[in-house]
Amino acid sequence: MWNDIWFLVRMTILTTFRKRGNLLLYFGLPIVGVLVASMLYGSQSTPDLRVGVVNEDGNQVIAADTIRFVQGLSHVKLVNTTKEDLKKGIAASKLDTGIILDAGYSSSVLKGKAEHISIESVKGAQVTAYIKSMLYGYIDNVTAMGSIAAGDTGKFQQLNETYQAGQFKLTAESVNDKSSGQQMSYQSIGFLIMFMMTSAVNLSQLILKNRENRTYFRILTSPISSRTYVLSNVIVNLIVMIIQITVALFFMKVVFRIDAGIPVGEMVFILGLFALVSVSISLAIVSFSKSTAAAGALQNLIVTPTCLISGCFFPRSIMPEALRKLSDFMPQNWVLESLGKLQAGEALYSIGFNIVILLAFAVVFFLLATYKFGRNNDARNFV
Amino acid sequence: MNVLELRGLTKKFGDFIAVDNMSLQIREGEIFGFLGSNGAGKSTTINMISSLLRPSGGEIRILDRDATKQTRFAKMNLGIVPQDLAIYEDMTAFENVSFFAGLYGLRGNDLKERVQEALEFVGLSDKAKSFPKNFSGGMKRRLNIACAIAHKPKLIIMDEPTVGIDPQSRNYILTSVRKLNDSGCTIIYTSHYMEEVEEICSRIAIVDHGKIIAEGTKEQLKATITDVKDIRIELKSLDALDLEQLKSIPGIRVLSVQQDDNMVRIQSDAAVDNLNRILKQLIDSGMEIRAVEEQAPNLETVFLTLTGRNLRD
Repeated sequence: MWNDIWFLVRMTILTTFRKRGNLLLYFGLPIVGVLVASMLYGSQSTPDLRVGVVNEDGNQVIAADTIRFVQGLSHVKLVNTTKEDLKKGIAASKLDTGIILDAGYSSSVLKGKAEHISIESVKGAQVTAYIKSMLYGYIDNVTAMGSIAAGDTGKFQQLNETYQAGQFKLTAESVNDKSSGQQMSYQSIGFLIMFMMTSAVNLSQLILKNRENRTYFRILTSPISSRTYVLSNVIVNLIVMIIQITVALFFMKVVFRIDAGIPVGEMVFILGLFALVSVSISLAIVSFSKSTAAAGALQNLIVTPTCLISGCFFPRSIMPEALRKLSDFMPQNWVLESLGKLQAGEALYSIGFNIVILLAFAVVFFLLATYKFGRNNDARNFV
Repeated sequence: MNVLELRGLTKKFGDFIAVDNMSLQIREGEIFGFLGSNGAGKSTTINMISSLLRPSGGEIRILDRDATKQTRFAKMNLGIVPQDLAIYEDMTAFENVSFFAGLYGLRGNDLKERVQEALEFVGLSDKAKSFPKNFSGGMKRRLNIACAIAHKPKLIIMDEPTVGIDPQSRNYILTSVRKLNDSGCTIIYTSHYMEEVEEICSRIAIVDHGKIIAEGTKEQLKATITDVKDIRIELKSLDALDLEQLKSIPGIRVLSVQQDDNMVRIQSDAAVDNLNRILKQLIDSGMEIRAVEEQAPNLETVFLTLTGRNLRD
């Protein structure tokens, strides 16, 4: 039997990949997926915060110092404006937030109680929190100095100068931000999952294609049984997908230098498991289809939407709760969740439940396909 | 020795009985004609012999072994030439034959030699590297045959191997069938062309409603209907033809009409002299008679008499 299977596997691979287009389809597209993910998530950097400043406190030293402080914050772009323009700017999203220093701000700080300062933004905008927290820290410092100076401008300036010139011993330690690389690899795997499923259906469709050109029946009149024939198709499918996984991971790690934050072996294991699930789904699709056209339609109905819901194309976190719950029924989600957990530092044994779920998906779809294939008694197309 | 033996073979699809308790013996070296109109149960029988369908009852024995139990042995000794082409258009002629022969365990030089031999046999050795999509209908049919014979089966089932091809290819195929038979192959041959069956088959079975209703050599079959005469009348037009009126003439058993050549075929009791009455009836109906011919019974007459239908119905 294994001799027969090997013969069929060899012939299927030879005839399938004789067409150069298939090489591109099966192994080129996953590379494109990695490329797309790296382009989508690799260019992500924190954008500058556009902060409008309205200074109605004149040339007061404290007001000027406050503005200098805000300007010195990282990722902040300061724009001097008027109250009216500030409101318009925020409404038109030209500005993210605004700081208004009313007349009397500096003197209130000198008295040790900061007043006449307000922050404007669109209600609920998260950017306000960043500016607020930084500004409050600063104001706490200057009002403390104001309290000590007790309204004496000269004393305040002296205190402030000493504070500004203060010598601090700073120790810097570099911390790598791996979140971008992990997001890229997560989405690359998302694309790879979709291509794996598409390839699996395409390869399983060979069974239907051979039914349509009647060679399937001719094969069955030879000593090859239908079980041997389908098993050979499964093996071809798995070989192609393992090569797909290898190619995609090679390009991800070596060519695009994306650090997934997971050991390669663990990724190959999880994706290999998903390859089994993909083959089982593709066989179920083929077993329920009478023609390649019907299988193609089923593929379009199943593969792309489930990949979309499972977060293969964009993070699942931005989806509504109902869709997220629905994705619990998709095997793709369990793969991505497993990878996410591994990226978060969990060990392989701690995602045992996910692995069991993936295996269960594979078993259910294989059984479904076997049941349907077993009931197919249609030999009328042959003689 | 019997190459194929059917014992009470039955196939049911729900309540419908497609093959009904069929028994048959085909001896080594025969070219056996298997005749039946569409839906007679011929294809179902062939599908069961080739293990594509599981019988509901009865036994199939190939080379004296139970084919349903020793499937591998049965399949190794069987070659099927299906009516519709079953070849890969995107594989060369050599690759096609090589693939199908490889399914029988042939490998290496042995496989190569058998493939070349099969292609030579069907006259396609010079087209070994060509793709079937560039072949004529006749060449594709020959390749279809080559794919079934490369593993040298003892029994070959040919289902309408000459359908829809030019006379030259048809003659080539018929000659090939004889050559295969001469080399020791037993052949089951089905065709809608009665003259082909008459020309090459040593024994014939007529199947109707899932049963074998007649079996024997062509001479034996013809001899069963000595009491019947076959009258063919060619008319200018069939428009005014009233078959019911004709059927009422004494002695007439079967009436059939061939629309494409305006021909009425009448099977009548040989003992009843009714030709004049038939002709008068047609003339009185305003029909113009172009030719009248009374033939000795042939296979077609036998088939029509036994089944009441033309083979092409």
